Amino acid sequence: MVPKIEYKKLKRTGYVPAFLLAALLAGAFPVVNMAVRKESFLSLGGEPLSVLLNANWQMMAMLNILLIVCGACMMYHTEYTDNGMQKMELLPVRQTSLFLGKFLIASIMTAVMLSIEFSVLAGCAVYWFSDSRLNPMILICHLSFSFIMLLPTIILMLLIAQAFRNMWISLGIGVILVFTFSILPQEQLFFALCPFSAPYQLLDNVHADGHVGLFLEIAALETLLFALTEFICLKIRRNFS
Amino acid sequence: MNIIETNHLTKAYGSFTAVSDLNLHIRKGAVYGFLGPNGAGKSTTMKMFLGLTKPTDGAFHIDKKRFPQNRTAILKKIGSFIESPAFYGNLTGQENLDIIRKILGLPKESTADALELTGLAPVKDRLARKYSLGMKQRLGLAGALIGRPPILILDEPTNGLDPVGIHEIRSLIRSLPEKYDCTVLVSSHLLSEIELMADDIGILNHGHLLFEGSLHDLKSQAHDAGFPVDNLEETFLAMVEEDNRRRSK
Ligand SMILES: Nc1ncnc2c1ncn2[C@@H]1O[C@H](COP(=O)(O)OP(=O)(O)O)[C@@H](O)[C@H]1O
Ligand SMILES: [Mg+2]
Repeated sequence: MVPKIEYKKLKRTGYVPAFLLAALLAGAFPVVNMAVRKESFLSLGGEPLSVLLNANWQMMAMLNILLIVCGACMMYHTEYTDNGMQKMELLPVRQTSLFLGKFLIASIMTAVMLSIEFSVLAGCAVYWFSDSRLNPMILICHLSFSFIMLLPTIILMLLIAQAFRNMWISLGIGVILVFTFSILPQEQLFFALCPFSAPYQLLDNVHADGHVGLFLEIAALETLLFALTEFICLKIRRNFS
Repeated sequence: MNIIETNHLTKAYGSFTAVSDLNLHIRKGAVYGFLGPNGAGKSTTMKMFLGLTKPTDGAFHIDKKRFPQNRTAILKKIGSFIESPAFYGNLTGQENLDIIRKILGLPKESTADALELTGLAPVKDRLARKYSLGMKQRLGLAGALIGRPPILILDEPTNGLDPVGIHEIRSLIRSLPEKYDCTVLVSSHLLSEIELMADDIGILNHGHLLFEGSLHDLKSQAHDAGFPVDNLEETFLAMVEEDNRRRSK
């Protein structure tokens, strides 16, 4: 029920169209890349999906993260501009369930965005690497891995967005984080495991290093940690206001 | 029987005491006018009743329930409107009320009922951010009235309304306990306004309760204390000034 309410609140904010548009924009990278430099990619050999991901995922992932940043800001902007949040505090509903409702909506939209992007990647693989015996299971593994890598970023960004009434502050912090983590050395495991950074990782490479389990565990741990931080913040805010 | 009662209720922000040692008695089924100049502590008191802020000292109960243990049970019973109207500007009036209705688990008709009660029905499909100040105020009121809760806490509900709107909202509030069984706590900084709505009055100044009782009691008490009584607004101002004078000594 709460997620449905949270979804209703986003009406006319452009939240859903933003995710769809970003998905199409991200999907355009592999298409344009293939259309322009078909030969160089075809000559690389290896799994078509891996070739495509290696060539395009950095840009696509950054777009995904930027959209998660914007999405979180949009969600709390609608709460703060006309004080809707205050009305919620006066109703018999837990602030924590509203937060989790937002997290669920953001996660679903992210999943939709990733599904579109991976469909485009699959389309590229079939169209340009015509001999492809594309395995849907592998596609789903890649998609799921990328999705889980984004979860800590989604929840951390919601945490940031709810902390500031002024959307531009949250947006600024988000964008700074995106660019800071994009220039940190991704080869170092510690940085690679951070939110805002893990989403650049590719299942192939992580698998080759034997770190798949580690990445999944850390992502789950981070997500839980940020959720817990939010619950504590809400409790403190209630007790000290 | 008192549906809301406070016992030495106190709220301090650092060294500043916004509400001091308050003992309120709000009778079930009455309209209680909570009167005081700006900054007297009316909103702060109401926020404590709604669990938005925690008392520093003292206690209160609402229908024998307390925060934080019975938060959900209390909030289910109270329709409220605090300070400025709070809503989602990207949603229409009706959509705003539907969100509140769903959280409260009310039937579909409640939305239409609240729109009707507050006269918002003709503009229900307009975006709330495009509402005039008066309409926003009514939307806030509709959000409090939805489902006809047994307790209403309304913080300066006529703020920003034009004279016609003020009159309508006052009549509405006045008529509520007759329309259905409810208790209303309404604040204002105008005695003339409270006078028209309230059965009981509590006067607050600098966080202290100067008077509590009926309008009749107020008149006789003011008369005995040598305050002017021909014009109640003057009575109120004189009481507040007298209190301020004593306080500054
Ligand atoms: N969060 C806060 N921190 C510090 N002081 C506050 C806070 N909220 C209210 N106050 C102070 O408490 C006093 C009472 O405020 P309020 O209850 O809003 O008065 P009223 O509603 O009667 O106009 C004011 O002097 C106000 O400045
Ligand atoms: Mg006030």
